[in-house]
Amino acid sequence: MAGRRRKPAGRLIAVEGTRGRDVTRAAARVWQHLKDEGAEGGVSTWDASGTFYELRLAKQKELTPSPRTLLLLYASDLTFRLRWQIRPAIAQGQTVVAAPYVESAIAFGEAAGLPRKWLTELFRFAPKPDACLHAREKRSSSGWKDKWMAGFPEFASVVLKSTRADWDERRRRAEAIRILARSEGRRGCRLLKKKSLRELT
Amino acid sequence: MPKALRAAPVTLPRPRLRTLLRAQEKRRGLLIAFEGPDGAGKTTQRKLFKTWLQSEGHEVVTSKWNSSPLIKPLIKARKKVHALGPEEFCLLHAADFRHRLHTEILPALWQGRMVLADRFLFTGLARDAARGLDLDWLLHVYSPLVWPDVVFYFSVSPDTSTRRVVSTRTPKFYEAGQDVTGEGDAVTSYRQFIARVIREYDALALIFQFVTIDAERPIYEQHRRIREFFQSARRRAWAEWNVEAVLEWLAERGEGAGTGARARTRTGTRTRTRARTKTKTSKDEAGRGG
Repeated sequence: MAGRRRKPAGRLIAVEGTRGRDVTRAAARVWQHLKDEGAEGGVSTWDASGTFYELRLAKQKELTPSPRTLLLLYASDLTFRLRWQIRPAIAQGQTVVAAPYVESAIAFGEAAGLPRKWLTELFRFAPKPDACLHAREKRSSSGWKDKWMAGFPEFASVVLKSTRADWDERRRRAEAIRILARSEGRRGCRLLKKKSLRELT
Repeated sequence: MPKALRAAPVTLPRPRLRTLLRAQEKRRGLLIAFEGPDGAGKTTQRKLFKTWLQSEGHEVVTSKWNSSPLIKPLIKARKKVHALGPEEFCLLHAADFRHRLHTEILPALWQGRMVLADRFLFTGLARDAARGLDLDWLLHVYSPLVWPDVVFYFSVSPDTSTRRVVSTRTPKFYEAGQDVTGEGDAVTSYRQFIARVIREYDALALIFQFVTIDAERPIYEQHRRIREFFQSARRRAWAEWNVEAVLEWLAERGEGAGTGARARTRTGTRTRTRARTKTKTSKDEAGRGG
């Protein structure tokens, strides 16, 4: 009896960063590379559930979430992505590039003053990625651009800037970059380079 | 907040916030939570209690479960299309709770008003645990926890809850727990699901020492017991119970940064705020209250 062909194992690649534009570009680069190598699947991006898009439409006086509330909403969006995009694709043996995934949100949350322990526990439901690549920012001398939907840090920063008197986004951004860089080398996370891309395949 | 401090990144001095918290202790309002399964009569008792408190001269604010003007529309839209998984359901309700806590509940308490919570975070814990989520994770999601001064738990059997709910309406999809029971019939599903929810509530009532009210007793008897308990209850100091949650809220408001002569910046340098600023901030606090 001929042996049954095994389905290829699905893979989850996390692409992390502290700026939406960097994460989007890095994800496109990683996915192009994987596609060229014959991978099937796709990219799972931020706000697939439309939560933040809908929040953006709320009245300005009601748009007053705290960093903790924003992180809870990010986590709920991630559960949506896991349920409808990531897990089904992996179950079919495909590759999913999650951009961003958990580390970016933890770095932002920690920079916003939330305890790391709470953040790591919050994201306990998220499976560990098979590989984790960082799109590191080169410059950190300015704050995030006021582009609501560019990424989670941008969205959160625009909201917090308008509601919190002590929100210094330049310092927070520098802090987020530092925290994300600190996690490189831990839990298999590494900086996105040609070499790290080659090692994916 | 003083302009100079707004410009400079400031780590709020926690000891100063604690002092502010202690000073506010006697002036703050009380937080009273009404918990229990659907059909237990919480809303009836909450309304009676509110009327009584108002007749006693208290200013009373009510906060209902899943009522944040920011998050409620998101939840409602997703519930309508049955698109929520257990984790997403939990996290959205936790976000709704946190938003109400920061924008409605804590400000009202700080201003000296009584807050009656028609369901509190224990509703989230009981329902989500009944959906199969880990209680330890749920406690993390809702932390820093906020302990009400009193939690009245309206205890009924699953049969009574089902009978009372079904006599007025057909339970909705998530209310009936059809997302986890897999039952096609809403009433059958509700009966199964509410039994699980009540089991979780009973466990929480033991752990967190709720005041259990037998919700199968006549309405006036329940109301009398609530009044009696409330009049004899000991006030729980925030400094003992709710330090983390209240300090986080105060820090977010920028409270405490300008109340003293010194505030420490991230870089370790100290800035001395002017006496004029200090006086102005103190006046603001006294006037603003919340």
